[in-house]
Formats: sequence, structure tokens, C-alpha cells
Amino acid sequence: MFKRRPLQSKSEVWMRNIAMGFLIIYMMIFLIIPVIIVIAGSFHQWNPLNQTYNWIGLDNYIRMFSYPTFWQSMGNTVLFCVVVVFFRVALGLAIAYALNSKLMKHKTLFRTIFYMPTVTPLVAVAYVWKIMYNPQFGLIDNIFGLDINWLFDSQFALPALMVMTIWKDFGYAVILFLSGLLSLPSDCYESASIDGANAWQTFRYITLPLLKPTMLFVVVTSIISYLQAYVPVLVMTTGGPGTSTYLSSYLVYDQAFKQYNFGFASAISLFILVLTAVFTMISFKVTGANEK
Amino acid sequence: MKHKVLRTALYIVLALVGVITVFPFVWMVLSSFKTNGEIQSIVQTLLPQEATVDNYLNLQETFDFLRYFMNSIFIAVAVTVLVIYTSCLCGYVLGKYQFKGKNIIFGFVMMTMMVPWSVTIIPRYTMFMEAGLQDTYLSLILPVMVSGFGIFMMKQNMESIPDELIEAARIDGSNEFQTFHKLILPLCKNGISAIAIFQFLWVWEDYLWPYLMIDSEGKQLLAVGLTLFNGRYSTDYGGLFAATTISILPVIIVYVIFQKRFVAGVAAGAVKG
Amino acid sequence: MKRFLSFCLALVLVLSLAGCSGGGTSDKTSQGVQDTQTDKGLEVMGDNVTYDPNHLVNDGEPITIDWWVWATEDMFRSIAEAYQEIHPNVTINVINNPWDGFFTKLPLALQRDEEGPTLFNVHNSYEHLLLNYMEPYAIDTEELIADYPSASTHLMDGNVYYMDYGLSTGMYYYNKDLWTEAGLTDGDIPKTWDEFIDVAQKLTKFDEDGNMIQAGYNYNNYFNSTVIGLNYQFGDNLFSADGKESLVDGKGMKEATSFLIDLYEKYRVGDKDFGTNYDQSFYQGQSAIVFAWGFFVGNLATNAPDINYGTFEIPTQDGDTPYAYYRYNGESTPGINKNATDAQKEVAQDFIRFYLASDNVQIKLSQDGGLIPAKSSLMDAPELADTPIVKTVGDHIDRYIWPGAMPSTVENNLKIAGEDILYNGKEIDDALKTAADTIDIDLANADFTSSESLYAYYED
Repeated sequence: MFKRRPLQSKSEVWMRNIAMGFLIIYMMIFLIIPVIIVIAGSFHQWNPLNQTYNWIGLDNYIRMFSYPTFWQSMGNTVLFCVVVVFFRVALGLAIAYALNSKLMKHKTLFRTIFYMPTVTPLVAVAYVWKIMYNPQFGLIDNIFGLDINWLFDSQFALPALMVMTIWKDFGYAVILFLSGLLSLPSDCYESASIDGANAWQTFRYITLPLLKPTMLFVVVTSIISYLQAYVPVLVMTTGGPGTSTYLSSYLVYDQAFKQYNFGFASAISLFILVLTAVFTMISFKVTGANEK
Repeated sequence: MKHKVLRTALYIVLALVGVITVFPFVWMVLSSFKTNGEIQSIVQTLLPQEATVDNYLNLQETFDFLRYFMNSIFIAVAVTVLVIYTSCLCGYVLGKYQFKGKNIIFGFVMMTMMVPWSVTIIPRYTMFMEAGLQDTYLSLILPVMVSGFGIFMMKQNMESIPDELIEAARIDGSNEFQTFHKLILPLCKNGISAIAIFQFLWVWEDYLWPYLMIDSEGKQLLAVGLTLFNGRYSTDYGGLFAATTISILPVIIVYVIFQKRFVAGVAAGAVKG
Repeated sequence: MKRFLSFCLALVLVLSLAGCSGGGTSDKTSQGVQDTQTDKGLEVMGDNVTYDPNHLVNDGEPITIDWWVWATEDMFRSIAEAYQEIHPNVTINVINNPWDGFFTKLPLALQRDEEGPTLFNVHNSYEHLLLNYMEPYAIDTEELIADYPSASTHLMDGNVYYMDYGLSTGMYYYNKDLWTEAGLTDGDIPKTWDEFIDVAQKLTKFDEDGNMIQAGYNYNNYFNSTVIGLNYQFGDNLFSADGKESLVDGKGMKEATSFLIDLYEKYRVGDKDFGTNYDQSFYQGQSAIVFAWGFFVGNLATNAPDINYGTFEIPTQDGDTPYAYYRYNGESTPGINKNATDAQKEVAQDFIRFYLASDNVQIKLSQDGGLIPAKSSLMDAPELADTPIVKTVGDHIDRYIWPGAMPSTVENNLKIAGEDILYNGKEIDDALKTAADTIDIDLANADFTSSESLYAYYED
């Protein structure tokens, strides 16, 4: 690799100016200015409908930290995120590993099936699952002979949303891990089998470290998207029973576009931003630790 | 012998997961041919006792789901094409050029991936209201036509293109714009199809923003149409099954036909990342 | 790759063309025709608020306005059509936006000035969000009050922005077939809560495993609407004497709440997990009694025309006249978008005058909407004498309390409280305390004052 020389031709300069100029202006309008507006708004009592915009200092934050539903939604969000990411990764990896085994045929068929829920629109799927969870005529209670009111039982409502989400999304992880596995160099395995390593050892000490980039990719993109999840709540429980399935992004929606407390909603959303940053950093640390 | 047992066990487990994956869809389709009374009756059967297509017929009378479907496809394709282009362009410049401030800009691009929708939606809403863009498709396309994820992925992709190739094109006298369009873009097939799939699905699933922005029934998108339908006819489960079938089944069919491309695309994106 | 891109581009082009042409046609449906006939030979309608149809609106030029409603669109459409018949140059698009989200979408649409709806239905619990976008009625307020006495409670700075066209309240609906099946007769209509429990128990069925297969009484998903107002029977108002703070965590509400919970848990006349929506369960004939407001009459007609049902008034503790049976609320007339164009507003004002002056319109609204008419001249209208609500509560509607245009926060937080108690095992006191705290913050922000003190029998 030789170091690229600085830009030379006119067209290169033009190209750079156009692309970066566009990008900077775009990020200004859709990222930086919005974040500034939100930060400013979080210090105000802000209702766009009657043009209220009064400075109230830290009141929104004080209310936020003393608002039980806020803490509940944060706890739910973290739990939801951790559980769903864990199962997505575990299921995805296990199934990909099984599919990758030399014993398996019909790989394409299985792959096609597992990835199917991922391509379907979440809102539609959430409605189907909502009816599946119905205690009288839902599929789940009928098949397993249970009598559980899934979406109205505080013990089961949040797990029910998690199950739906895992069902919908695990296929994505399968595909990613599968292609990660396929791209692994085969000579590692050969030397391992010569050394007499058993299947688990091969997996633990050879496959897993080599899959690190894929793992990081899956984990980080999953965390970011699950911290923002709201559609399952909106369609299936609207936060209930009580407030037991409030997720933080749903709380923002509720406060902003149902109650029109824009200032309060801004404060909550900034907290989610911080949470996302922390989680992303943690997953980089955890996954990347051995590499250095 | 040991292999045989293992293989059978593997097959059984995977087949079970497969059935769980597919079964909700099967149930949905079958239920869409049941009458409302049958769907809600205490005694349940899998197959419709008296199959009816009324759910579908009534649906088209009150709700034009085919139209919502076309609208959603239009928006999803438009956004996807724009995102592909902006991602390639920015990815190319960030991946192949050296200039001051490059890392700062790239840092900001990475940040856009982390900023949740809940942070930007309030100011975005205020801005679009001020600009009078509600109820236009522009309001759906503008805020998502650049994707941090896309730029990040294309930058990786571009970096793997050998400099010599670009150098050769330059010596042949083609300017950068020609090089980019004629040489670079065709080289990034895999990356592009990865972005295309992700982006298409994101737009396809997006709910809140179109819900807030679009008023006219004729312009409504599929996901929002579904919730409107449910809000208006909350007791019509048969209709809801028919509506969800209409919104899910075509995607599945397209996916099954093109599944090879799908999988290759998704995989291409991730391995590099 | 290039081919793929150009294919995509072509697809976008084709679709956008299709989208545009399609959008164009659907937006311009059924434009009205030029109207030149000033004298239509029609009679003047109304008593104090009058409407003379013999004039042109918008100089007879074709004009279209939108009217947003959240339910029973057919009823509102028929009123719009009656108006269009008089003024063929006007087209009123009745647009149904579901209740869930109606007040999320409406403020957004109103910010689009003249492109938003010119007319929109109002629920008084969202008054505080909408007032800023509303134009006062161009009708003399004294005339309004003469015809509609309750309009006086909607006076703001000498103007009326919206008012009641009917009064609604809650009552019990029972499935007559299940009633007979359980061996009950008309004489068994309960007057006291004890009788109610007795009847409901007879209507509840279990299978041999002890699972409920038919509920005597079902209030699932309707706990909050039921309990707000029930507190009056348990000796407490809903708001403090100054009308500023809620008494949601007071004695009356606590007792009302624990009574409803007891119905399920102690008397087993229903179950929180059986029929998660009271209305759908009633439509299916799986729940025998439900409590609902007048609107349920219309819902039953559209969703379950085959159900043979009757109604009875909310029972009381001892069968005597209580401090108050329950609360009532007004069903509100449409608001007019103040940022609409002058021409649109002219049409809207003219339409409102027609809407209020026409007895036919008002009778239809009360019949189909299950209401007691707010217009004083219609109180004894023969067409309305037989409606369920008039028969059921007409005799002592004066013993129902109007708490005022209570902001939605009260219902929302009691919904949460109810679910917390029923499903999450929270203590009644704690759940109601949490609700009261949030409600009080929101009430202060909305600058609300209760109207309970206007009640004729308001004590202490």
C-alpha cells in the first residue's frame, strides 16, 4: 500500500467539495441543529400547539428523575435490549453453526425460511402476534393448552414482546454469522483437527475469535435498534398493563405527540442518547478487548 | 452411526425452528379466510370451517391497501436509490481521498448512526412544520436520503478497491466524475445490494414519521394504513388478517424468488463491517 | 449494476407518475356545481338560532371543505349531504380518523392552516390542545343559550367556540337472550348493587375445569371510564372544592375502585382475563352485561346488529336516590379552523348554523349517537322518547354531575391505575396516589377548573 498523494486534479477537488459540502450541510440540518434544538428545548416548558416556550431551567430533568414511569421505561428498555440481543446472537450463532456443518443439506431452504420474518413489515407482524396472544382465541394458548393473558399480565407482557421481536429478527443474525463462518479460512480448522481439538474447543478457541468482527457488527447494530424499539409496544400493548411495558422511546412518543409536552420529551430523549452511547461503547470494549 | 444420530437431531431441531418461524404466517393466511365469528369463537380450528373471501372484498371497498402498497414501494425505492447514491459518493470521497478534516467528518457520520429517532423527531417535526412540508412525499424522503450506516459501509467497500485501478483510469484521461460513475459504482455491487436491502426494509417498516407527516388518505403508506384500519374497524379481525396478509405476502414472495441475491447482499455488508 | 440502477430509476419514475395521476383524481372527487338559485323555496329552520336556506354561500362558486370525525362517519356524512342538497356548490369531505391518534393527527393538520380540515369534531377533554386553532361561532350567544342552555358553560370571553349538541352518560347494556337463558325476567332488572351482583352471578358460566366461558359483567378496557363518576355514589366529588385538584386518591374513588375489583375477585361475575375488550366480548355474546356510554347504541348497530339488548340505569347502594348516580358529559359540536380561508370559514359558519338550527339534524344526532338532546325544544320530541338513554336515565338526569371539560389526563392515568391494580397486583391506595400526582401536574399545566360546584345538589 502506498500513501495516497493529496488531491491533484481539479475534478478531484470538485468531487470532494460537492460530496463533503453536501454531507456537511445535510448533517447540519438533520443532525446538529436538531440536537441543539432538543438540548435547548429540554430546558423549556414547550408546547407547540399553544406556542408555549417558557424557560424553566432544570425542571424537566427534575421531573424526569422523579417520574416513576421514566425509570420503569428505562429498566424495561435495558432489559428488552439485553435479552433480545442475547437471544438474537445466541440463536443466530447456534443455527448458523449447525447449518454450516458438513452434515447438513438443504441449507438454502432453511436459510430462506429463517430469514423470512425479517423481510416482513413489523407493524403487520405485530398485529398478527397480538391476535396470537389473545387469551380466548389466540394461537399460542390454543396450541399449548395454556390460559395465559399474555399481553395483560405484567409477568408475561414484556417477555411476550421480546419473543415476538426475537422471532422476527433472529434470521438476520443467522445470515450474518453464516456468511462469517463461510469466509473463515479452512486451514485453521485443519491444524486444529490435527492437534486433536474437540468440537467445542474448536468452536471456542478458533471459530469464535475469528467471528469477532461479525459479532461486533451484529451486537452494535442490534443494540442501537432495540434501544429505539417502540412499534411492538404501540401496536400490541400501548404500554400496558399499567405502565409495565413502557419502553423509553414509546414514552417519548407518548409525551411528545399525545400529551404535547415537548420539553419533557426532549429531556427523556437526550437521556436515551446518552444510554445508547454508553451501550455502544461497552459493546466495543467487551467484543474488542481480546483483539488488542 | 454417530454422525447419523447427530444429523437427525440437527434436522429435527432446525425443522422445529423452521416450523415456528413459518407457522404464524400460515395461520394468518388461513385465518384471513375465516368469518369473524369463527375467528373469535371459543372453539378454535386451524382450517376455516366455511372459507370466505369476504374479508378481502370488504377490505378493498373501505381501504385501498393496494394503493398503500404501491405508495410504500415508491417511497422505499426512491429513498433506497438516493441512499445508495449518496452513500457511494460520500463513501468514495471519504475512503479514497486524503484531506484535512476527513476524520472529523467521518466521526460525525458515525455519530448519526447512534442518535436515536426520538432525539431528532421533535426538532425535525418542528422544522418540517415551519417549512410547510407536511403531507408531501418530500417530507418522507429528505430526512432519510443520507444514511450514516450506508456511508460507513461504502467507505469500507471503497477502501478495498485497489488504488492502481483508479490511477489507471486517471491516466486514461477520465475525470473523477467519470471514474466514479463508470468504474467505481459497478465495482461495488455487493456493498450496494447490502445497503439496498437494509435501507429498503427500514423505510418499509418506518411507522411514526409517515404517520405524523401524511394526512391524505391517497398518499398513506402501508404500515400506517394498517393502524388506521385497525383503529376504524377494531372489531374486524377477519379484515385485519386480510390486511396483514396483503402487506406481508407479496414481500415474502418477492423475497423467496430473489432470496439468493438477498442473502448474498446482506452477507456482503456484514463480513466487511 | 448499471442496469440494476437504471431499472430502479425507471421503476421510481413509473411509480411516481402512477402516484401523481392517481393522487390527482382522488383529490378532486365530486366537486360541487355552480349554484345560482338564491331562493330555494325552503322554510326557515329553528327557534332562536335560525337558519334561512334561501341564500348563496361562497357566491354559489364550487368549494370543498374537509370535516374530521373519529367515529360514526355515516351519520356525519348524511348531515353533510343534507347540507349539500341545499347548497350544491359545497362539497364536505367527511374524513374518519380513528380515535386512537385523532388528537395526535388533528393538531398537526391544523398547523397546515387552510390545507387542514375546516371543520373538526371536538372532544372536550382535548379542549386545551385545540382552542388556539378555533374560530368562535358567528351566532349571537344569547340565541345560542336560549336554544341550548348548556352553551352557557362554554362561554369564553363572550364567545362560543364549540358547545354540546347532546348529553351522554353511562348505563348498563344487557344481552336479552342470555338474560332469558339464565331464567331472568324483566322484574330482575337490578336497582341496587346487591341485586346487580346476584343477577351477574346467574349470568356467569364456568366449564367443568372452572374456567370462565361466559362473563356476567365485563368492564375490561373500560375500568377508567366506569370508575370516574362512580365515586359520587361513594360520597366524594371528583375534584376539590376550588375545582383545581383531583380527588382521585380520595375516599370515594378508593371505595368505587375496590367495589369494581371485588366484582371480579370476590363475586367472580367477570374476569380480568376473560374478553380483554368489554365491547367485543359483548358483540360476541360472551359477556352478558357491560357498562358503556350512549355511543354504544351506535356501535352495536354497526358491529353487532343481531344482538338483542336492553339497558338499565346504574344501580345504587340502597335503591334510593343517591347524592348523584354518576357523571355525564356533553357531546361537542364541531370546531371551525381559524386559519382556514375566508371562503372556507364562511361555509363552515353557515354549516354550523344549519347544524344547530335544524331539528332534523339534531334528532338524527341524538338518535344515532345515543344521546339526550341538548336543544331544549327537543327534550320532549316524540322521535326521541323511546331511545335507550332517554328511557333509562331521562327521569333523573338532574342527578348526574358534569365535572367539566375534564382533560384527558384523568382518564389516561386512571386507565394505568386500573391496570396496575387488576393486572400488576398494585395496592389500590398506591395506584390511585400515583395517578393523582400525575393528574395534578397536568391539570395545573392545562389550567383546568372543575364545574362540579354548578351541580344543583352540590354539598359542602
